[in-house]
This record gives sequence, structure tokens and C-alpha cells, in this order.
Amino acid sequence: MDGRPPEPDGFRDFVEARSNALLRSGWLLTGDWPSAEDLVQTALAAAWPRWDNLTRQDAPELYVRKIMVNTYLRWRQRRWTGEVATGRLPELQAYGDVFAQVDARQALIAALDRLPARQRAVVVLRYFADQTESQTAEAMGCSVGTVKSHASKALARLRGAPGLAELMTGGVVS
Amino acid sequence: MTTEERQLSDMLRRVTPEPPRRVTVEDVALRLAGQATGSGGSPGSEGSGPGRRERQARRGSAGRRWAPVLAAASVFVVAGASAGIAVALTSHHGSSSPSGTGMNSASPSASPSASPSASASAPAERVADGIWGAELIDREMLTQDTLTGGASSLYAIAGGDLERIDPATGDVVTFAPVGASIANPPVVTGNTVWVVSSYAGNSVVLQGYDAKTLAQLASVTVPVSGQLPAAPEGVLASGSGGYLYVAAGSSVAVVNPSTHQVIKQISSSAGPVTSVAVSPDGSKLYASTTSSFDLATYNPATGAELGFSAVPGLANTEGNLVATSGGVWGTSGVGMTELTWFAPDAELPRMVRVGAGTGAGLDSVPTYSGGTVWIGGSHTLECADPATGQVLASVTIPTDGSVLEYFGSVTFTGGRAYAYYQDPRSQQSGVVTLTPPQC
Repeated sequence: MDGRPPEPDGFRDFVEARSNALLRSGWLLTGDWPSAEDLVQTALAAAWPRWDNLTRQDAPELYVRKIMVNTYLRWRQRRWTGEVATGRLPELQAYGDVFAQVDARQALIAALDRLPARQRAVVVLRYFADQTESQTAEAMGCSVGTVKSHASKALARLRGAPGLAELMTGGVVS
Repeated sequence: MTTEERQLSDMLRRVTPEPPRRVTVEDVALRLAGQATGSGGSPGSEGSGPGRRERQARRGSAGRRWAPVLAAASVFVVAGASAGIAVALTSHHGSSSPSGTGMNSASPSASPSASPSASASAPAERVADGIWGAELIDREMLTQDTLTGGASSLYAIAGGDLERIDPATGDVVTFAPVGASIANPPVVTGNTVWVVSSYAGNSVVLQGYDAKTLAQLASVTVPVSGQLPAAPEGVLASGSGGYLYVAAGSSVAVVNPSTHQVIKQISSSAGPVTSVAVSPDGSKLYASTTSSFDLATYNPATGAELGFSAVPGLANTEGNLVATSGGVWGTSGVGMTELTWFAPDAELPRMVRVGAGTGAGLDSVPTYSGGTVWIGGSHTLECADPATGQVLASVTIPTDGSVLEYFGSVTFTGGRAYAYYQDPRSQQSGVVTLTPPQC
């Protein structure tokens, strides 16, 4: 009736086990939960019809992340106008008591907002999702060299983001 | 990995929060069903404006009652992820009349008996453990932040329509299509309800509707100076003296609602204006811009800038300004969490946080109604003193299971308080009456 194939074996287990981690990756990419959910749902919907193939290749999660990242890159390319990247970042010390609950997250998202889309995608895949350089390259359709260069540029840029140094050395409660 | 890479990796895991809800197989199935039937519309057809609210309005909408909403929404998702969507996604009159063919807005004979809302006449129901006597009187998915009171009625935007809701019964008395626009609350001046009906390109269009019949009375086109901000948050306000103030790019236009003329344009030195508010005595116009966490004060009569304050270092996501005798209120937020602040005498460096904010991507927009400032959200519902910013009463909003319930847009009309309520878990939403203490 609705043209969708029946639920594949193992799909539900995967969604239950991995949606949390996938959503958190989505949040790092987009900066908010509704967009993160959209990304994850889009990727899972793309994976559903080819699930059996993906499990045979033992790579469903890599595939789902690949779709997430590519969907995100397409959004950014097309008409990304969401939260405006600020260039100004929270001074955690001065305003920590006012906005304590959100400062760390806000600082993190603000810092990620400073990155070009592909650098941000590399940061999320490499450093949050723990993918190897070659898995990251495969997901993004580029060479390992390009992944390395995105990663080092991203690190350099994040290094200059005020507030991030404190976060990275563990000063702020999440 | 180098030490720095490891630190980055640890930090990402530590700071990234837990999601407010999981994605389920049913969510994905609904998405696939929406794709297969091609319901909804085509990507890119939804105009422009701030994405946040519409995406939030859709939040938690999986399931029976809201399923059509989700299916319709699914195609918007790709293009609308963080971009602007102006179309409200709701099925409030979907079952009784196809969208767009509802009651003629020019018809002066609109009557309650012709109510387009099939669901509005159900009896009031206690919700959210009955905090502040909360009772649901109207069951609709409204566009978030658009409920407002005035002229002894409630007004809200739902599904691209301006609705007039009877505060006594919760019935939608009449409605008029206002087209795709940004989620800006209607503004009531005298017997006219004003909405921002178009906010794109080189012009911002205001439309005025008769407060009783919702017959269209006026359309005012305001030229945009420079560019419109990507994320406008409260661009229309009215002041004593009855003038309308509308942010149109890097200027604020003053509109005479009687003659429908733009009588002045006050230019913003700090760039595109995201939000405006007028002090209750009409002597000051406040504007926030995209350039920083800032607040400019103007003399609305002369356009002269009277003051400017900014908080260097905070992300420039402030908006939803409300002005009271004691200062200016607004919101700040990135991503899923939004907080409300109060800046005494409009001096941002002195600002304090009010309320516990929201989660789950919802808004916590302050309102000033019935002599009190109201701050909703998904954690606490509060009222505060407009002169001092002091919280007068606060109540904890319960969760339904672990799912956040939401109260917002508190408005006071005809001696009672109303709010917009959502409970994604039970799929309930609509207008609630409140009986707040000491507010």
C-alpha cells in the first residue's frame, strides 16, 4: 500500500542499539536535535531497502554514517541558513554562572560552526565516530590524503576557538 | 592519534549530550511511507525564514494523531534541515476541509457554527498534572510562539492560517489563510490583527485582519534595506500610540496602522535586525541584530540611537525581545536549548537568566501580558515582575514518562491566562487555560 518493503531482519536491533550514537553524531554535525533526527531518519530510510546487502558486507553502520554525512553536506551546499556561525564565542569564565548548563555545548557547536562543512564532517567521523582515515575517506568520497588535510586544518581552526581549549583539557562539566 | 586528537575525541564524547529521544523503526517506516506516496510537497517550495521553529513544531509528531503531519513533513526535511521553512505543518482542519479552501477570509458572516475545527469542541481536559490548573481547551498543533491574546479573543497561526479562537470554549471561530510566512506572533492593535505574511527577498509584507471576522483589511509592503537576517525572531511589535514596528533588514520601519503607510525607517548601524520591541511608554525602540549579542535603543519618533550594549563572547543568537518598564527580555539559544534572559535598563552586561529554559528543540519565548512577564519552556513555567525581573511564581513542568512537556506563549485575555501546550508522548497539543497564583 505504501510501497515500502517489509522490515528487514536485524534492522530493529540496529536502530535500537545505534540510534543514540547516530543522533549524537547528527547533533555534532547540525547543532540541534531536530536536524539530527532528520539526518538519522534519512540515512536509516536509505539503508532499509538494501539492509540485507549491507549486513552481508558487515557494514551497515558505515553506510548509515556515509548517508548522514553526505546528506549533511548536501544540505549545507544547498541552503544552509540555520544558526549563524558567530566568530564570537562564549567566554566561559565570565558568563559561566549565567548560562552554565549550555555553555559547554554552545561553545562546542559555535566552534564547529566555524568549520567548513567537510572539515566538520571529518571531525565527527574521525574523532567522534572513531572511524579510520580510510573509512572516513570512503564515506566522503575522497582520498585519505584529503581526509588528513581536512583533519589538520580543522584542528588548527579549533585550536583558535576560544573556550575550546578549556573544554579539551576537561575544565567544564558537560 | 596525537595527544591533541585524543583530547578532541574525549571532549566530543564528554560534551555531546544524550538525545532527548531515540529514533525508532516506526519513525523510519513513516519516513519511507511519506517518500513512497510523495505526500507533502516538493523540496524548496516552502519559502524562506527561520527553520528552527517549524522543525520544532514537527517534533515528536510520530504516531496516530500526528502521523499526517509527519508524512507531510518528511519531504520538507531534506531542504529544510536548518534552512528556513515558513509553512506551518498541521492538519488542524485537514479532515473537514482541504487546506486553502477554508472559510473565505473576506466573509464578514463567519460564525461559530461554521467552525472549521472538528476537534475543538471536546470538553476541557486536565493536563500536565494540572499545574497552575492547566486544562486543554483546544486541540491543535499551532505554529509555536504564535498564540496571542487581544480584543477578547485568542489568535494563533496554524497550518498557514490565522485563527481566531474563542477563549471560553477553545473553538476556532474563524480563520483566514495568511500564506507561508515566518512564525511571528500576530500583533493586535485596536480592532486589527497584524501578521507578517511574507518575509523574503526585497520586501516584508504585513497584513491586517478584522479582529472579529478576520476579513482582510490591509496589506502593507515594507521595503527591505540590505538583507533580511537568516533567523528572524520577533520582527513585529506595536507600541503605545498604535504604531507598528517591523524589522526589515538593516532598518526598522514604523507603520501607521490606520493609513497603512510606512512613516519612517530607522536604520540599524549594527546590521540586519532580528527582533524588535517597544517600551510600554512608547519612548524606546529596542532592536537586536545578527552581528553580535547586542541590543540597540532608538527613539522611535526621531530614529536617533539612544544606546547600545553588547555582550562580547556570547553567540549572537539573541532574539524574541520583550520590553517592560524595567528593561528588556529576550532569548538566547543554540541547538536544542533556549534560555530566557532579562537585561535591566536594556543593559545586556547586567543580564540575568530567568526560568529554566527548554530542551527538545522547543522555544522559551518570554511574553508580556496582563501586567506580568511569562516564561514558559519545558522545565518550568514562571511569571516575573516586569519592573525588577524578579520571579513571582514558578512551577515545575512534569514530564510524560521521560518526555518533556511544553508550555509557551502565555497570554492573558478576558481575565484568564492561556498558553500553548504540547506533550509529544501523548500526542496532545493545543491551548490550555491556566490559573496561575500570585502572578
